[in-house]
Amino acid sequence: MLKREGTRRGKKRHSRLPLLAQAGPVSLWMILFVTIPMLFIIYISFMTRGTFGGVEYVFSTDSYQTLLDVVYFKVIAKSFQVAVVTTVLCLLVGYPFAYYIARKPPEVASRLIMLIMIPFWTNSLMRLNAWMLLFQANGPVNHALMALGLTAEPIKFIYTDWLVMLGLITNMLPFAVLPMYSSIEKLQKSMLEASADLGAKPSVTFLRVTLPLTFPGIFSAIILTFIPALGIYTVTDMLGGGKVLYIGNIIKNQFGAIRNWPLGAALSVLLLAITALLIFIYMRFAKLEDMEVV
Amino acid sequence: MKKALTLILALTLALSLCACGGGDPKPTGSGNEPSAASSELNIFMWGDYISETLISDFEKANNCTVNLSYMSDNADSITKLTAGAGDSYDLIMTCDAYMESLIKGGYLEQLDHEQIPNADANINEAYWFGDNRDYCVPYLMNYIYIVYDTERCPIDITCYNDLIRPEMAGQIGSIDGARNLFPMALIALGYDPNSTNESEIKEAYEWLTKFNENVVAYGATQENIVNGTISCMLTYDGNASWAMNELGENNTLTIAPFTSDPVQLGFDLFVVPKGAKHTDLAHKFLNYICEPEVMAANLVDFPYSCPNDAAVAAASDAYRNDPAFDFDYKTNIFFQKDVGDALAIYDQYYQMLKVGE
Repeated sequence: MLKREGTRRGKKRHSRLPLLAQAGPVSLWMILFVTIPMLFIIYISFMTRGTFGGVEYVFSTDSYQTLLDVVYFKVIAKSFQVAVVTTVLCLLVGYPFAYYIARKPPEVASRLIMLIMIPFWTNSLMRLNAWMLLFQANGPVNHALMALGLTAEPIKFIYTDWLVMLGLITNMLPFAVLPMYSSIEKLQKSMLEASADLGAKPSVTFLRVTLPLTFPGIFSAIILTFIPALGIYTVTDMLGGGKVLYIGNIIKNQFGAIRNWPLGAALSVLLLAITALLIFIYMRFAKLEDMEVV
Repeated sequence: MKKALTLILALTLALSLCACGGGDPKPTGSGNEPSAASSELNIFMWGDYISETLISDFEKANNCTVNLSYMSDNADSITKLTAGAGDSYDLIMTCDAYMESLIKGGYLEQLDHEQIPNADANINEAYWFGDNRDYCVPYLMNYIYIVYDTERCPIDITCYNDLIRPEMAGQIGSIDGARNLFPMALIALGYDPNSTNESEIKEAYEWLTKFNENVVAYGATQENIVNGTISCMLTYDGNASWAMNELGENNTLTIAPFTSDPVQLGFDLFVVPKGAKHTDLAHKFLNYICEPEVMAANLVDFPYSCPNDAAVAAASDAYRNDPAFDFDYKTNIFFQKDVGDALAIYDQYYQMLKVGE
């Protein structure tokens, strides 16, 4: 009797172990390095700015009152504008590309995926500097254009919106392509064949079968490009000449030169709230589990 | 659980890109043992800013180990000092603009000038100011001035107000930051460069919107003037030195011959954090870097403006003949002072400037 009890208990413990081993480290990691810092950010956003920097632990809602200033509204609107344009362009460029890869045999597809990832083996600042060198007044692109007789004077590429967009898209494209690829790859060919057999034109099949079925991947792509694009400032600073402030710049400045940590924290909380709202909207449309985060 | 994790993961993404600038290098050495004769010195400063030979010579002479760790932003050292850095560091580099807050906040140890005779003997009297002398030793310094290309710049620049003339549209590159831009505007308007008066700061903001219209880009000034993107820059003398040397014999850059407007002079200086463990070695180090030959050798690797007159006299010909340091209004200067809570006003107008109200 006793012996049997013992074995049963042993078995039970045994069956919990894999779960603990799988989820334990990641949970611990997330709690220590994500949840606690995030709670701390929320906490200091309600504190007072120290006269000589740092934070005085006195409750205050000053930071949130400051956020009501119209200037922050404008900054957030500009940040949104850039993030929306980046996301839309990434989807427009990324979807056909993901479709193309997904229709290739697996070994070719994995090589193509690799090609998207290779630029990410170098630091993003290095890549931005490379764009600058390529496109500057006496850079190779202008030299080539002048040698071909296409232009007499060097064309001004750097510090234009055009180059900023190029930088943002190249930085974000993998985050758009990968989830969409994973969605499109799962698409069953038989569905498309069925659609064709029932007389749908390819364009109708695409709009009424392919697109709805790959929607989870598209939405993941939207979230994964939109959220980082909202906070990014290195690309716009370097390629755009730093003439415009985005929310990321302002947060950085509060924790740096301006020494107003509570305001920086409050802005970060605002960014978190916007993100949470986006996820909430997504959850109204689809299950979070369907999100194709590769 | 999965739902929660996914949510957290997505939220993390939002913050991850904002966090790029927040590097917080850990000290390379750990020993904080209270010792009679210290064998270890922990320094926190800018990376690539002091000669390795200088450090190893000091280690040999004093039979000690020097642990250097590096800051990525001026705010890093303020963060460390205000959080109580004495446990981890013996010397921290900061700049003159923060000294008043640091002294008032009680974050610094007072220096014993008897232990640093070289500093008193060699550093020019003009570069010690106020109470700072009791708490810091200037290391190197930088002018923030105007440099322009005599062939490409449409006009000759002799004062800050020239920068907002319409001819200068699309010609200017500038360093960034509220406390670098506003003093220039305040001087152009005839006010105190460290004003805490909001209406003056507001006028300076209006001046800067005109300046901003002529600016092509903030940051990377030296590269931009060399590659032809701009023809005039508000920049550090170290950047100008790089640009002039890069152009070599084709150099057509000149330091704007200002007649009355002062230029900003900033210092990188060493302070001893409150409660530092190895103050004896810290003093020895401060005294060592003020020896003329030692600093002169250091200037070969790091050719920046130096407050140590004896070291400049002992420095190489190349350093003393550097065109970036050759201008005649070196004493017509102003310092960036700690403006205390007015920093928030500057920040507000700086944001308006960059958002384009």
